[in-house]
Amino acid sequence: MFLTTEQQKMLDGEHGHAIAKLTHLIVKIGEVNGATRLIPIKNAQIAGVSYLTVGEPIFSFFNMLSEDNVKVSVPSWLNPAGMDMKKWKEMGIKNDFAEKQRRIIKQYQEMGIQTTLTCTPYLIGYKPKFGDHLAWSESSAVSIANAYYGARTNREGGPSSLASAIIGFTADYGLHKKENRVPRIVVDVKATINHFSDFSALGYWYGEKFHGIIPYFKSVKNANIDQVKMLGAAMAASGSVAHFHIAKHTPEAEKVDLSHISETVTFDESDKKQIYNHFNQIKERVNLVVIGCPHSSLEDVKLIDSSLGDKSIKEGIKFWVFSSQKLMQNDEAKKLLTNLEEKGVKIFTDTCMVVSPVVRENYKNILTNSAKAAFYLTRDGTNKVTLLSLSEIIEGVSE
Amino acid sequence: MKTIKIRTIVEGIVEGIALVSPIPISFFGGVDAETGIITDSENPLFGESLTDKIFVFPESKGSTVGSYVIYGLSVNNVAPLALIANKAETIVIAGAILANIPFVDKTDLDVTTSIKTGDKLVIDTTQNIIKIKKE
Repeated sequence: MFLTTEQQKMLDGEHGHAIAKLTHLIVKIGEVNGATRLIPIKNAQIAGVSYLTVGEPIFSFFNMLSEDNVKVSVPSWLNPAGMDMKKWKEMGIKNDFAEKQRRIIKQYQEMGIQTTLTCTPYLIGYKPKFGDHLAWSESSAVSIANAYYGARTNREGGPSSLASAIIGFTADYGLHKKENRVPRIVVDVKATINHFSDFSALGYWYGEKFHGIIPYFKSVKNANIDQVKMLGAAMAASGSVAHFHIAKHTPEAEKVDLSHISETVTFDESDKKQIYNHFNQIKERVNLVVIGCPHSSLEDVKLIDSSLGDKSIKEGIKFWVFSSQKLMQNDEAKKLLTNLEEKGVKIFTDTCMVVSPVVRENYKNILTNSAKAAFYLTRDGTNKVTLLSLSEIIEGVSE
Repeated sequence: MKTIKIRTIVEGIVEGIALVSPIPISFFGGVDAETGIITDSENPLFGESLTDKIFVFPESKGSTVGSYVIYGLSVNNVAPLALIANKAETIVIAGAILANIPFVDKTDLDVTTSIKTGDKLVIDTTQNIIKIKKE
């Protein structure tokens, strides 16, 4: 691989042992993937925050970094943690977990990383620009950055995005190169796609069938950010799909090279139904509703409020919505939260149903409108999850 | 004695006993960073220790924080002597570099069938080869 004089110095240890290791890591990942150079990144989004997902080993790694007093060199922000940083007790998080979680966040903060604790940085002002090179690691955010904004990022891991945030470079391979961003499969969407859960079902269906292959969706009528984030998240979860195009909606779709299409498939009502049937598992009473995978926007929260109208959530059922701290801070949001709390809807920030231990541990029968959440919550077989549209959920759990 | 060609990811000259996982390994959730013991109940090596073995596996899977588990194994002095995979990907590359554990891949044979648990191996990355001395 070609390295600039400065990059070579980093690799040779002139900026310390930790920088040398992290540079080595990025260079090696690049070499294995055929990269011939490193490219600067605009910013980084770093996963590996929840104590549930990183466990004790992260502390050894932090020790190595703090010995050299390492800081990030580009704007960087964090994925969700394992708990709401303020309302963790209300969630049922134990003291020991909370203490470990706070330690992890503090360590990241000391490296100069913003503690946004969200999987949707693009909803809180960090919108990537067309053509920007990034090192993002949350799989749904990666797919939105590529598809909806036309920025360029591979699906990084927690460690590689952190390494890139610190050294300021990533290796030039995969989705950083135009030729690797072309679609291979056309999906003709014949089924009606209205609800967020429909977008999620479409994504889940595609990812499961065509692992890792970039699709080109046609006949999709609406594709706003809240709809596309459901589609992208589900596809990334079921099939590690990190980029996609939607005709007439996503920025690369119009000019993209369609000469590599090898197959056209249709997504019809029966395919949609098959996904809803797969996640139709609750046989007993519902314990918990979880909304906000990916994190809810303010519009999402308003929709919950307007769908509920004058009704409240039934006794014995918990209704949890996950979002980011920053979105829930302004006066309009605060008023909305108070209003929703009175109706039995609880908004937690900084965390989600997937990375917090309490949802899986404490609630058996869970309703959601996100196929990604359904996928992760049912993976080890202890929880039963049913996927429904938001309006169906609210109809069923309110009175 | 059989010789296999390799690609070097992390350098080293290592002699040791092979422990072979026939299926992809998830370091996160599948290996205990404090003890080096394989905790994935679906793996035939369940309950065995990686410590001081040359760990052979087809590829890795699961969460990318598996890299921190590999680093943790080394900090806790329970790391494997070296790693051999059919296909290196980001999780193990990052972990092996952080932990400085010799790591090789892209052999000309399927390592999980050409190497057996208990075989005595010599990895020499200066020559890009593994020598297998049968048990």
